[in-house]
Order: sequence, then structure tokens, then C-alpha cells
Amino acid sequence: MIHSIGVKTIDGVANLGRFAIFATRAHVVSLKSCFSPKSYSLIWAQMNIIGVHSVPVVMVTGAFVGMILALQAYGQLASMGLEEHLGVLINIAVVKELGPVLAAVMLAGRVGGALTAELGTMNVTEQIAAVESMGTDPVRYLVTPRLVACLLLTPVLIVFADLLGIAGGYFVSVIQFGINSRAYIDFSAQGVELWDLGTGIVKGFFFGGAIAMISCYKGFTCKEGAQGVGQACTEAFVGSFMTILGLNYVFAVVAKAIYSTFWPVQSLL
Amino acid sequence: MIKASVQPNDGLIVVRNIVKSFGRLLVLDNVSLAVEEGKTTVIIGPSGCGKTVLMKHMISLVRPNEGEVYFKGERIDELNERQLARIRVEYGFLFQMGALFDSLSVYENIIFPIQQHHKITDWKAIDELVKQKLAMVGMDGFQMQFPSNLSGGQQKRVALARAIAMDPNVIMYDEPTTGLDPIRSDVINELILKLKRELKVTSIVVTHDMKSAYKIADRIVMLHEGKIIADGDADHIRNHPHPVVEQFIEGKIGEADLAALRHGGTKFQTQYAKDDFK
Ligand SMILES: Nc1ncnc2c1ncn2[C@@H]1O[C@H](COP(=O)(O)OP(=O)(O)OP(=O)(O)O)[C@@H](O)[C@H]1O
Ligand SMILES: [Mg+2]
Repeated sequence: MIHSIGVKTIDGVANLGRFAIFATRAHVVSLKSCFSPKSYSLIWAQMNIIGVHSVPVVMVTGAFVGMILALQAYGQLASMGLEEHLGVLINIAVVKELGPVLAAVMLAGRVGGALTAELGTMNVTEQIAAVESMGTDPVRYLVTPRLVACLLLTPVLIVFADLLGIAGGYFVSVIQFGINSRAYIDFSAQGVELWDLGTGIVKGFFFGGAIAMISCYKGFTCKEGAQGVGQACTEAFVGSFMTILGLNYVFAVVAKAIYSTFWPVQSLL
Repeated sequence: MIKASVQPNDGLIVVRNIVKSFGRLLVLDNVSLAVEEGKTTVIIGPSGCGKTVLMKHMISLVRPNEGEVYFKGERIDELNERQLARIRVEYGFLFQMGALFDSLSVYENIIFPIQQHHKITDWKAIDELVKQKLAMVGMDGFQMQFPSNLSGGQQKRVALARAIAMDPNVIMYDEPTTGLDPIRSDVINELILKLKRELKVTSIVVTHDMKSAYKIADRIVMLHEGKIIADGDADHIRNHPHPVVEQFIEGKIGEADLAALRHGGTKFQTQYAKDDFK
């Protein structure tokens, strides 16, 4: 019993160490290949698959988040006569938390799952070894384009989610509930700061990196057979999801600290 | 126990006292082998005895737990990926399952190694090269197909074309004739002989096909339970006194395996009489 706990712990730590080495190497190699035009076409192709094709799901996710927030919050605020403030609530929630996190979770499912399955299959059919045997670094050829695409495009996708979230909230509030459009927009503009929007988008950078690293790592270390690939995909999704939530919390704490240091006057108001 | 002593400069590729285990499974147990330049070395041995693992050591795709691997006298098992790239461009490696990139067409698969190391400007010449390499394995005309649309044997042959695309000095074939019909197998045998004759290629071939082994080998090495148990030319192996070797090359089933099968009869019916085919 104690023995097995020990073995599991050591395994876990060793695995974390290997992941850290993998992630560090991937970032170093990626940084280098940003300056070599040879890898641009690979990065471009991945941006298309990872970014462009994710736009619809992310937009739908954002729109529904905005709409449901409006629907649920309206009753509460209206009973206090505060319905014109609905915009602040919806937009802060969307821009700061729900937009980034839900967009990232969508990406973890859509992109992360596909990444792990693709790389995992390549691993078990020795295609990764084949890349290696031909003198090409598989991290540079396979991981870098995916990592760069995720890093660059997750923030952009979050902007799409935010945009549609804001629009969804606006439509339900103004058209369905008949809130004065002018008031809705004015209160929102006062309530939501550039800081809120900025932190939400910057988070995307970290979420994107986490999704790419975890999914690629799981693909590269995938066990033999169809079952191995399936298991790797599950682990990659659960891992990415947990990491997104964890990172989000850490990010909120850090952002709060920074905010209250640099905007002390505003936070007193 | 057989213990050979080899020095880093004894051959083009030298593995020295390597030990390799995966978890608790000991696969290679103190194996030493020096592969001579310009010769064809065939590795035989029962399924699962570590032939593929041994071959992967020679290109540093797998690293030993103990022991060293040398290429042209330079130690390669401790190099990192980037340093290995320089060495690996001299190799062509045919994987046991082909390992074609399934997201790329046959054409793109074959130009992959070239594209990785050179800037292609003259596409006409590349087209010609791809055509020539594919023709060598009897696959010309399949350029635009995807690997998933090819049969196993066809994939293997395209993979072989990819392995020789860069005109490597060393070619490693992991079971080149498995999954091919007898005539195709012989075409591959001839190809291996031709590459040796004309381009002085050093070949390392893993195979179960003894006919092919006798035909192409300058030297045959037999691996059994992680150790080398026989080493010599075709005639030496053909007349080898070791019972395990003898049994293996003649494809005779062992007593223990026979006993396991000795349940139930093997009577069967045929729909034809011998005279029907006259
Ligand atoms: N990456 C790996 N992880 C764990 N075990 C491995 C790995 N690669 C090989 N093995 C094990 O090493 C042993 C030898 O494998 P290897 O592929 O070298 O056999 P082989 O001699 O090529 O057999 P075959 O003729 O069937 O191809 C097998 O038992 C296999 O399970
Ligand atoms: Mg094998």
C-alpha cells in the first residue's frame, strides 16, 4: 500500500520532470524556428487547421455564454430596478472569465484531442521515429508549428468569443428584454476597463501554450495500439482542462495583485 | 558465454557491449558487432529477439542502457538530436511497417528527406528522381496516391524508395521482403545487390526470409535471447552445428511447440481430386 503510493508519487514526479524538459525544449526550438523561414509554411498550415477552423465553434460558444448570462441575470437585476446595469455584469463576466476559459476549453477539446490523436498515431506507427531517422528533429517538425499556432491564435480566438459573447448578451438584453440600448452600452463602457479585456486576452496565450504542450507531450509518449491512443487523448483533454482552470485561478490572483499595485487610486474608488 | 572484443574503428558502424532493457524485459544482453563498410550484413533471429532494437541502436533511435555505438569511429549514442542529424543523413532506414507519413502523398513522402536538408529549386529533376526511385521498387505511377490507399506490400516498397531517396551510404532494411510475393521479394534482393555493387552501399538487413538472406548476405549474424549465437557467411550458417541455429534456418518446429499443438486431429476434406487438374 505505502509502497504503491510511493511508486505512484515517484512516477508522477518523473513524468512531470520529463514534461518540463519536453516543454522547455519545444519552446526553445520554437523560438529558434520563428527566425527560419523554412518553418513558416508548416506554421501557416497549422494555423489554418488550429485557428481558422476553430472560429465557428468558439463563436457559437461565446454567443451562447452571453445570451445565457443575460437570460439568467435579467430577473435578478430587474427586481431591484437595476436592469440597465445588466451590460456591466455580462460583459465583465464574458471578457474576464467566461470568454477566455470556455474558448480555451473548446480548443482543448477540438484542437487538443486532434493533436494528441494525430501525434499518438504517428508515434505508434513509427512515423515520428521515421522523421527522426531522416535527420529531422521531430520536435521542430511536429511540435513547433502546433505550439506556435496555439500560442498565437488562442488569444485571437478569445477575441472572437468575447465579441460574440458581448453581441449575444446585447441582443437578449436589448431585443428580448427591451432594455434601453443607449443605457446598456453606456453602463457597459463605464464598467468594463481595458485591463479586464487585456487580462482576458493575455490569458489566452498561456492557455494556448498549455493545450499545445500537454497534447503534444501526450501524443509523443503515447502507448502502443488503439487503446493507447485513446487513453492519451483522454489524458490530454483532462490534463489541459485542469491546467486551464488552475492557470486561470493563478492568473486571477496575480492580475489582482498587479492591478491593486498599479491602479491604487481606481481600486479605492 | 560468447564475448567478442571490438574496437571503435573495426567497422563503419560498431556496437560495443550494449545492454538494453525495457522495464524488466532484457532485450539485448551485451551485444557487440562491427559492421564492415561496403558489405551486406544480415541479422536473423526469432521474432521478438531484439533485431529491430539492435538496428535502431545503430542509428541512435534507441539508446543503450550500457555500452557504446560508433559510426566511422565517432561515438554516436551520446549525441543530441541536432548533432545526430549530420550523421543520420548518411543513413536510409526502412521501417518494419513502412512508417510512411499518412498525411502526405507518395510523392511528398519520397521528397521529404530531400526537402528537409536541401532547398529544392529544380523541380523537374526532383520529379525525375522520384520517378526513378519508384521505378526501382516497381511503384512508378503511384506518385499522387496516399499511403492509406496502398496495400501493405506496396507501402513497404514506397518506404524503401523513400529510404534510398537521398542516395545514402548506409541502408538499414527491417524485413524488406516480408509481405511481398516471391517475385517482388527477389526484385528487392536484386535491388540490394545492385546498390552494393554500383554505389558501394553498406547494408544491414533484418530478415526472416532465409532464401533472401543466403542470396544477399556477405555475413549473417544470428541473434537469440539477446545474444549473438552465430556469425559467419552463408555457408557457415547453413552448416552451423548449433541446434538452435539449425532449427531456425530450417524452420523446424521445436518439441515443446509440437507438444502444445498435439491436440485434435488434422483431417480435412478437399473438393478436388488430384486428377481434376490434369
Ligand atoms: N519501445 C519499446 N518499449 C518497450 N518494449 C519494446 C520496445 N521496443 C521493443 N520492445 C520489446 O523488445 C523486444 C524485441 O523487439 P524487436 O522489435 O527488436 O523484435 P524483433 O526481433 O524485431 O522481432 P520481429 O521479428 O517480430 O520484428 C520485444 O519483446 C518488444 O516487446
Ligand atoms: Mg522487428
